Amino acid sequence: MDTTQLLKGVLDLAVLAVLKDEDGYGYDILRRLREAGLEEVGDASVYGTLRRLFAAGLLTTYVVPSEAGPHRKYYALNAAGRDQLARSGKTWRSFATTMNALLDDRGMAA
Amino acid sequence: MTVTGQEIADYVDRVRGALADLPPAVRDELTEDLPEHLAEVAAETDGTLVDRLGAPEAYAAELRAAAGAEAGARSAFLSRRLDAARARAGTQLRALDTQLGPLLGQPSVSEFLRPLRPAWWLLRGWLAALVISVILGGAPGLLPRLDGSVFAGLVLLAGTVLASVWLGRRSAGLRGWRRQAVQIGTAALLLFSFAALVTVDQRASTDRFGSYQEISTDRRYDMIQDVFVYDEQGRLVTNARLFDQNGVPIRLGWPTCPDGTGVVPPPRYVYPYCPEQAPFAPPVPSPATPAPPAPGTVTPTGSAPAPSGSAPAPSASTSASPTATVGPAPSAEPTTTR
Repeated sequence: MDTTQLLKGVLDLAVLAVLKDEDGYGYDILRRLREAGLEEVGDASVYGTLRRLFAAGLLTTYVVPSEAGPHRKYYALNAAGRDQLARSGKTWRSFATTMNALLDDRGMAA
Repeated sequence: MTVTGQEIADYVDRVRGALADLPPAVRDELTEDLPEHLAEVAAETDGTLVDRLGAPEAYAAELRAAAGAEAGARSAFLSRRLDAARARAGTQLRALDTQLGPLLGQPSVSEFLRPLRPAWWLLRGWLAALVISVILGGAPGLLPRLDGSVFAGLVLLAGTVLASVWLGRRSAGLRGWRRQAVQIGTAALLLFSFAALVTVDQRASTDRFGSYQEISTDRRYDMIQDVFVYDEQGRLVTNARLFDQNGVPIRLGWPTCPDGTGVVPPPRYVYPYCPEQAPFAPPVPSPATPAPPAPGTVTPTGSAPAPSGSAPAPSASTSASPTATVGPAPSAEPTTTR
């Protein structure tokens, strides 16, 4: 099964989750997702998701000047974003539990 | 860093080109931060942008899918922004609620308003009775009337007030479409009753002048600014005076002729006030043309009554309806305008 298809549905949740404890800039967020095991995630997908979440009012941004490299635009969760993360997280866990139970019932190996 | 600013700009241009079918606002929204973002990517890795990220067109396609911005998806995108704006407005409203509370001696404005809700229910019942009585054809007033009957109106008032209080006590538990229906109904009620109250207010404030209006002069002559008198040969009579059957001067219009200089000359009670503005012929050049005693034609202007017939210049045979004597001596016989 193609994980990119699965990723489409949960990328919002994944991006919100990696921003939960620490703000991050675009490339940083991509790196966190890949380190967490989502290796197939594309840069444009992350950038597009960030723009969309920002437009939806779930993220705030601020720019951090850098002496060596380019200025970095950091994204942070706001209250609405934390709310969304909590709700989507619950939805995902319940969905995953349902799917696991469905597969367990039919004797599929994990 | 091996990637130049020029390379980033080219890449962004090609991504934007691949998104050209999107509405400009959506495309700008999507690619607003792209140069900065690509600069970050370039700073973190080696190789060209195309090596790192693939062709700009593929990047654009992935971006489009991730941002949920299909070509026709402008409305979805805008509705998301609308939701965001609504969420922000809600947050600000709550902040304002607690900020303004101390002014009213309460922790928040809503705490101040909560005990006033029964009063609002009574007011709502009264407004509903007013609107019902207006819808059923009654004149807008402060008390509802049914078919002109105040008693029936009071029964209606009692009914709507009771219904409003009943609704008020239950509406807190309403959810979903019922709640929306109550909200929409309340908004419509407020709108209607505001319009009705404005009408009531207008009638109340104009009634004072009702008696004054009844004795006002014939409105047909209110519009008259000047009067032009022509003799039998169609020549304009200057310095004419008009009198009624009692010898009282007939005063029409505004007895002065403002010229372009802004200086208002002293009033002259002879017609026409402004000979230059004669509708049919220039003033007679001869120095003094004493008005002939024969009856002439009075042609009021202002409301621009055309002389009867198609003749360009009025003559005695095509006299217009308001006739009066012209001349220094008033006679008791002719018809007058007052």
